[in-house]
Amino acid sequence: MHFDFDAGKYAVYVWPAFALSVAAFVWMIADSLLSARHWKAQAQRRQAELDARDAAGKSAS
Amino acid sequence: MDARHPLHVFDFLTNPERFMAFSRWAAPMFGVIAAVLAAIGLALTFAAPEDYQQGDTVRMMFIHVPAASLSMFVYLCLGIASFLSLVFRHALADAAAQACAPLGAAFTALALATGSLWGKPMWGTWWVWDARLTSVLVLLLFYLGYLALRGALEDEQKGARAAAILALIGLVNLPIVKFSVEWWNSLHQGSSTLFAKPGNGLPAVYAWPMLVMSLAYLAAFGSLWLVRIRALVWRRKSRALALRLAEN
Repeated sequence: MHFDFDAGKYAVYVWPAFALSVAAFVWMIADSLLSARHWKAQAQRRQAELDARDAAGKSAS
Repeated sequence: MDARHPLHVFDFLTNPERFMAFSRWAAPMFGVIAAVLAAIGLALTFAAPEDYQQGDTVRMMFIHVPAASLSMFVYLCLGIASFLSLVFRHALADAAAQACAPLGAAFTALALATGSLWGKPMWGTWWVWDARLTSVLVLLLFYLGYLALRGALEDEQKGARAAAILALIGLVNLPIVKFSVEWWNSLHQGSSTLFAKPGNGLPAVYAWPMLVMSLAYLAAFGSLWLVRIRALVWRRKSRALALRLAEN
């Protein structure tokens, strides 16, 4: 298989199009994963806080 | 005879716990499929011969057309999820709608940007107010309007309902985008993939990279959509827990 990376006089249009596509995917992947990680960590932290409070309440009674 | 509705096979997706169990393995699986297809698709893209008229700019087709197709497909998903959210008031349907809007906006912006970069050397201009380009710009505005409306209202449920209605109105634009090149005179070429007129279809040497890249974009969207819905499910759980903590 022969690859042709020389876009000649059109390089100024072709490569920015590919660069923009890569940038868009990097943003979509990073934003999605970071958002999921943030909310999962926050939910787990609050659940642990609630569990600890419930346990403290039971031991006090 | 099975008395359940015909789409009962998808019922497991409407239960948040079962959805989380399903998406836990489905999201990375689609991600891996997308990465493999993208690697093969890019290899085919740069192995394809130059077009006799368009030269090396033909390679932009393999990133522009999948982005444009996804911009419409994601909006269709947004419309269906909004409809299910409005009619059945289902929280997961609302999360699905909310999760796909930023992805759809990104694909639409990408289609416009790569199209502009392709248009300049081929048409001699970055932009024309013709039916295809304008209707895709309107599609982007519907996405941005949906996101803005959701964020604008303090009552989250009211914002979700208003945005869902806007999403349904925007569905009218989809056939306009798709068939604009046939209904009006346009600089934009007619379809060379789905619904292509006889003789307008792509030759195999271009059809294969196009198919593989399109499937890569589709798999990437599937993976990211599931990840974003999972994030929204966690967010709702986190807020519900915050309320319980405040009550205690």
